[in-house]
Amino acid sequence: MPTYRIIEGSQVSQSIIEAEDVSVTFGSGANKVEAVKNVSLTLAAGEPLGIVGESGSGKSTLARVLAGLQPPTSGQVLFNGEPVYRGNRSYIGEARRQVQMVFQDPYASLNPQLTALSAVAEAVRIHNKCDKKEAESKALELLRRMGIAQLDAIKKPRQLSGGQRQRASVARALSANPSVLLADEPTSAIDQSAQAQLLNLFRGLLNQGLAIVLVSHDLGVIRYLTKRVYVMKDGVFVESGNTEEIFNNPHEDYTKELLASIPGALGVAARRRRSA
Amino acid sequence: MTSSSHKLLHVVDLKIGIPHPRRETLIMVDNANFDIGYGEMLGMVGESGSGKTMVCRSMIGTLERRGATVLEGQVLFEDQDLAHASESHWKKLRGKAIGYVPQSALAGPNPVLTIQAQLAEALQKSEAKGSIAEQSKRLLDLVKIRRVDTVLKQYPNQLSGGMRQRVMIACALASEPKLLIADEPTTGLDVTVQSQIMELLKDIRREFGTAIILISHDLALIDDVCDRVVVMHAGATVEVGSVAQLAVPRHPYTIALNQSRIDIAEPGSELVTILGSAPSVGEWPLGCRFAARCIFRQNDCSLGANHPPLFGERGSHQSACLHTELLKGAK
Repeated sequence: MPTYRIIEGSQVSQSIIEAEDVSVTFGSGANKVEAVKNVSLTLAAGEPLGIVGESGSGKSTLARVLAGLQPPTSGQVLFNGEPVYRGNRSYIGEARRQVQMVFQDPYASLNPQLTALSAVAEAVRIHNKCDKKEAESKALELLRRMGIAQLDAIKKPRQLSGGQRQRASVARALSANPSVLLADEPTSAIDQSAQAQLLNLFRGLLNQGLAIVLVSHDLGVIRYLTKRVYVMKDGVFVESGNTEEIFNNPHEDYTKELLASIPGALGVAARRRRSA
Repeated sequence: MTSSSHKLLHVVDLKIGIPHPRRETLIMVDNANFDIGYGEMLGMVGESGSGKTMVCRSMIGTLERRGATVLEGQVLFEDQDLAHASESHWKKLRGKAIGYVPQSALAGPNPVLTIQAQLAEALQKSEAKGSIAEQSKRLLDLVKIRRVDTVLKQYPNQLSGGMRQRVMIACALASEPKLLIADEPTTGLDVTVQSQIMELLKDIRREFGTAIILISHDLALIDDVCDRVVVMHAGATVEVGSVAQLAVPRHPYTIALNQSRIDIAEPGSELVTILGSAPSVGEWPLGCRFAARCIFRQNDCSLGANHPPLFGERGSHQSACLHTELLKGAK
């Protein structure tokens, strides 16, 4: 068993991200949608944290708020104690660089015209203020660490497999040398062995001290990687706590339903417990 | 064939390729072999590009649309050879005895047709009694859609992903098929919706005795709902057997797939991944097409021009590995 450099629970002094009473509302009048309602959350440095919920639960919106991409309607996000949002605009500073996001569909988030290498090199150049040649060699190294050899690095997204595309977008996120990686459903568009490969990489990154927020509808993935989880439904957290405890002893009916839906051995066990 | 001729469908030594006027024919499937019994639920597993969808296209007569054709072998459905059926024959068969649920629920339904119109089209060939309207309602009831009258008037974009997939299943069931092919029916859907769709498929099978082929890359899901499993790799069937038999796999590819499952992995432990990627169509090596990725590889694995055939008696636990003796104890 590898050891995680994380602190159980949440001690304010150690949290790298704090979301306080965050709400996000889209539209107005009859079309008003409250995507996130008064949600508070903490993330410790180097912690693997899970946010689980179905489509429409507000988990992706919350992830975007944490990443500094979506100003909340009310509430605030603190990064190392500093507010991320000033007024209605996000604070372009350390938080922007240190909190990086990986999206669900790597095909949509990578420029189809650029090779994996140039996509990553561009990000390296921007974040590290180095020349093109140096950026390319750093990008190659990053891609290699993500299991993409030079031969594949010079391919365009459509020539890469789903798993390779997702790992290329992780490499691009890492080019900023972040302390937090927000991954929104990173495994739902790739097949089983590519998923295993990505999760192994994430585990390696955690061992190097990176904090990972894993957003997913699949509690199986959450259980594998995280130590603490928030269960989200209709814009609010219905349950949160230690991942293993929530797996073994869920309190909310909604959490029990999510557990029973996991394909395979975990779901079978959860269904057995539920009917017992 | 005599021993298992009571089965609904036999796929025998199927070879599918795209002929080219000047260059060599591009082979996409070679050595596909499996059967499915009446009312049986068969899981088909394999990576992208392993030929799962091509094999299923040969059962619904849509290979030609991709420029592909059956080169060798048979697809016997109740003693009719589908592999060499003419287009006019297909016009009578298609959408009747074999129903198909496409992979993408979100792209599946025609966006400019209401659900009513969609179902009416599917019901054209139906011989059941009652008006189209009555039959449409019955179909939506069948797939457990509530508020039937509202849904019938709606367009696909007004429905959730799960609802859309239910509509697609309703369309496939319109002509009361004996076999339903569901090609990754829950990709992109939430796990909760996925488990509802799986329950629905199980109900359909129980109620009507419909045989179902469930294509998925998720072995855990197949374990949950299927009776038997066929494992495809680079266009070939590498292992066939019951779900229980495949828990003790006899092919290194299945072993690796089992080991990469996160539902049985210890949290935070190293997950086993399969080396490299499957050889692309047109770049298949001689001999076993899995050899280059195999941790049990022996010198003779890449000898011989052809991929190893399935060893063992048809209908039993079969594997296409030359060295099953080396796999003992591996799970």
